[in-house]
Amino acid sequence: MDIIKRGGDRHSEQFMRDKLHASIVAACLSVRTPIGQAEAIANAVCESVIAWLQQHPEVTSNDIRLVATKHLRIHNPEAAYLYEQHHITI
Amino acid sequence: MDIPSSLAIISLAALIHASFQLSVSVLTLLSGHAIGSKHSHARLLRLTTGFVFGAGIMTVLLLSFISLVLLHIFGTNTPDVVWSMACGLLVGIAISVWTLYYRRNEKGTKLWIPRGVADYLTERTKSTKLSAEAFGLGLSSVTGEILFIIAPLIIAALVLIQLPPMWQLIGIGVYTIISMLSLIIVWALIGSGHSLGKIQKWRESNKYFLQFAAGSGLVVLGFFVFVVKVLGSTAGFN
Repeated sequence: MDIIKRGGDRHSEQFMRDKLHASIVAACLSVRTPIGQAEAIANAVCESVIAWLQQHPEVTSNDIRLVATKHLRIHNPEAAYLYEQHHITI
Repeated sequence: MDIPSSLAIISLAALIHASFQLSVSVLTLLSGHAIGSKHSHARLLRLTTGFVFGAGIMTVLLLSFISLVLLHIFGTNTPDVVWSMACGLLVGIAISVWTLYYRRNEKGTKLWIPRGVADYLTERTKSTKLSAEAFGLGLSSVTGEILFIIAPLIIAALVLIQLPPMWQLIGIGVYTIISMLSLIIVWALIGSGHSLGKIQKWRESNKYFLQFAAGSGLVVLGFFVFVVKVLGSTAGFN
């Protein structure tokens, strides 16, 4: 599955589950979620995103962020808020 | 102008400087990356402390540099026209802050600074692993907001160069500490284990209030300095 990146050249790259997983874990840890719970939430969110990807052949990295935020909100609203804010803080 | 009035102007200018948010945004992002990368609390503290020191040093350097330049050009008796220009700059930047400071109709706390600078700072927060890098990031974040902080810095510098040397040092110290209050508060909150989500949510909820306060502070400062220095001098009170 290729993901179209944001930015001017809009190049594409392979979807990397580990990358998404790490970013979700980081968001959870930032709101002081225990590491085990953060890992479990990240696994659940990654599975949901992968299931969604299977129905959508062409997506952008922003689509993935939106879908991941939506699923993360179910498990940890505060982490979802921070995850969503990452690109709009500065 | 007497010393208490001079320090009052410097303090108000520093308070306005403190209400600008780029350094706080970068500190929030930097802490998020450090916590998310599973660094120890000690390392988080080292990085955030390095950042705060960097921001403080750059504030001291900018204020000292501007003071030195103004002192070389005008000496200790700054002409009224220069005070008037500085007051005009304050009001002009106040209008810019009211209308532009936060990007309109956008979520989050996106600021009206060149996108290249914002992207650079965002990328640097990700790559920052050492205290020295965090220190450099602190220096850069103050420079990145120069478009807005230049007005309070110039007014503080104009007041500083009229003070006796000992009071100039005290004035620089007062400006630096007050201008860093918001950064120090966020640093203390992060260091004491508060959630970044709550800090960012507070910042987002109150962003328009901070924008209004910063703009209004600039107008009040400009008006006060204009009355005291320009009108006071014209009327023969100085």
